[in-house]
Amino acid sequence: MAIKGMNCLAAGVVALGLGITAVQADELYTPNMTYRTGPFAATGIPIMNGQRDYIEMLNARDGGIGGIKINFDECETSYNTNKGMECYEKTKGNAIVTQPWSTGITLQVLPRTNVDRVPILATGYGFSPMSDGDTFAWAFNPPVSYWDGASMILQYISDGDLDNLKGKKIALLHLDHPFGKEPIPLIEKLADKHGFEFLPIPVGLKEMQNQSAQWLQIRRERPDFVIMWGWGAMNAGALTEAVKTRYPMDKLVGVWWSGSDDDLRPLGGKAKGYKSISWNAPGKYSVIEDIRSHVVAKGNSMIGSEDDLNKVFYQRGVVMSMFMAEAIRTAQQKFKIAKITPEQMRWGIENLKLDGKRLEELGMLGMVAPFSMSCDNHTGHGGAWMLEWNGEQFAKVSDLLMPDRSEIEPIEKEKAKEYAKNNAPWPGRDGLACE
Amino acid sequence: MFYRVSGQFKTSYESDMALFPVKQDAILLAFILALFYVAFPMMASEFTYKALLVPVLIYALAAMGLNILTGYAGQLSLGTAGFMGVGAYACYKITSIFPEVNIVVALLLSGCFSAAVGVAFGLPSLRIKGFYLAIATLAAQFFLVWLFEKWAWLYNFNASGAIEVKGHEFFGLVITGPNAAPITQYYFVLVCVTVVSFAMINITRGRFGRVWKAVRDMDIAAELVGINLMRAKLSAFAVSSYVVGIAGALLVFFWKGAAEPNLFDIPLSFKVLFIAIIGGLGSIIGNFLGALLIVALPVLLNLLPGVLGLEINSATLEHINVMIVGALIVFFLIVEPHGLARLWALIREKLIIWPFPH
Repeated sequence: MAIKGMNCLAAGVVALGLGITAVQADELYTPNMTYRTGPFAATGIPIMNGQRDYIEMLNARDGGIGGIKINFDECETSYNTNKGMECYEKTKGNAIVTQPWSTGITLQVLPRTNVDRVPILATGYGFSPMSDGDTFAWAFNPPVSYWDGASMILQYISDGDLDNLKGKKIALLHLDHPFGKEPIPLIEKLADKHGFEFLPIPVGLKEMQNQSAQWLQIRRERPDFVIMWGWGAMNAGALTEAVKTRYPMDKLVGVWWSGSDDDLRPLGGKAKGYKSISWNAPGKYSVIEDIRSHVVAKGNSMIGSEDDLNKVFYQRGVVMSMFMAEAIRTAQQKFKIAKITPEQMRWGIENLKLDGKRLEELGMLGMVAPFSMSCDNHTGHGGAWMLEWNGEQFAKVSDLLMPDRSEIEPIEKEKAKEYAKNNAPWPGRDGLACE
Repeated sequence: MFYRVSGQFKTSYESDMALFPVKQDAILLAFILALFYVAFPMMASEFTYKALLVPVLIYALAAMGLNILTGYAGQLSLGTAGFMGVGAYACYKITSIFPEVNIVVALLLSGCFSAAVGVAFGLPSLRIKGFYLAIATLAAQFFLVWLFEKWAWLYNFNASGAIEVKGHEFFGLVITGPNAAPITQYYFVLVCVTVVSFAMINITRGRFGRVWKAVRDMDIAAELVGINLMRAKLSAFAVSSYVVGIAGALLVFFWKGAAEPNLFDIPLSFKVLFIAIIGGLGSIIGNFLGALLIVALPVLLNLLPGVLGLEINSATLEHINVMIVGALIVFFLIVEPHGLARLWALIREKLIIWPFPH
């Protein structure tokens, strides 16, 4: 036993000096903090497959971006903030960007990234006030924030005029976690202004799979609409419960993370009419065909079957990686260097501009709304579509919805200021030039 | 040979009752302290501080607190994470209401809050024992996490419901928040853990410790020899929760920097309980050994393929990791059901009589 102890100690001492992932000189290291294990794996895996496959496709088809290969390493977190911190510390030394992949982990690494000078790319998640680039110089959450999402959902269910909701009751069935609580301040404010009743119904992490209490409350309160802010096992739980209690499906609207084909397929036609907002529109795009021929056909993908390529979540992963790849390309063009630094990557994300022409070149026209970012707009606010489950798959049922920025911006500024105060001394923009 | 005790004579009661009756123990401890205070900081990277050293120390401290209650006083508790949360939230509120208060004072005070809450939830221990008490402390666990979620004043009405740590200075050095150097945070935690460990070693060796052990071994007998059970049990709850509360405050302020209520949920209680059980109930050193096994080993195992140059998918690695750590826990508990501390004690005894076992 003593020898075993010595071995352990020796291994410990060896590891002390290490802890940083080895990276070759001629590649860009863009780690992704995945969760292919744990209670959130079911919703995480399809997206993470999409993210990975797009980068693998670029590596196979174009030899990377700007002639340099991308090392899209995965670090497993199980959606656990402790492991997320561990992954962040392990990868930050070489990473040009960090993708924390959970609102909880984002909140933990956000203060550190200012000091370590690594940009955070939280595509479609994170913390809505991150849009304020003057406060959060290193954090980005394109293409829309959660508050944008809440605003667009309310517009859709009110047919474009929130005053139509007057006197109605709107419930928010949300995960009791920083992610699920995100939309509450905005909806509260809009409820006051437009005179509808707002009823938040939290679902604890432990009761995700058994929501009978919450749905009993919904049946008792009879809200006119239920907005769902769910993730992981909570989505399947809520949908099953909604079907069981015969809640009218067309009155149930989910955020983009509550619209996974895998959650709805087991329910099939019974869930017909369920809606979920989404900033990527599923369909047939040439980029997906490129992935099929360059990655899937060569057996280099982790997907279960080719059918996965058509799923909303897989295609969303592709879009997420596209944002990152385009930001790298933007930075490369500006600094005329293939191997960019984290600081140059930050500039690249901040100046990311995606127009229809570029999307067409990428074979992704119509897959995501065009948007551009700037110093004081770290989200892009590109807009989203409403998708509806038709019993077999999700289909687009609305035109592009746009968030009501005049309502959101003041609270973004206010909450950003509050965050800076809570985390004093907060560096803010810290002298970073704005071009 | 290494542990030869011949020639070390005890000629007075003081020397017989000394902290280290055997000289080699003191040397070994000095070596370990030198390792932590000098050798590790010379080699460690930022990752090592954040993912290995600081978490091991903080978890060991939390397990030490639980060990006072469960290992020494025999009161089973499943509410550790809740009491850690009380410490963390108390420290957060103290530092936000009185920003000028020194962080050490805030830490010491936050321990008092969790001690008070611990005593309150310890009251049922006067009537119920064993599994029933475990259920009562489980109630504390659920209630406290619920309170952290619902009582918005506790997290200063923050929209995300999380508490975030500001930068605090300690005699000119930034020791909390993102601007604090990991090495300063490490030394701060290390000094705290050293001081508390020293205090706990002495408390458990002294009158209180003996009273607790008497209660643990047979409470009726203890009562018959004149021990006040109420005072014994509640003092164990107070001391234990105090240490646990400090560990919780350190966890948020010196390691994570931000925390949400569900951090203090039941999995954390179980993790701390496992560290205490696998390390060895009724020992101080065991908490550190247990924390090494439960906290540090998975991190090291995750690094291993990278060191060896193996390409393993990170999800597969996570699965393998869980299996290896699980198997090791079962292995150690079969080899020595009384925990790693007992294992070390056996090794030490063998070394003392080596090479002539009788």
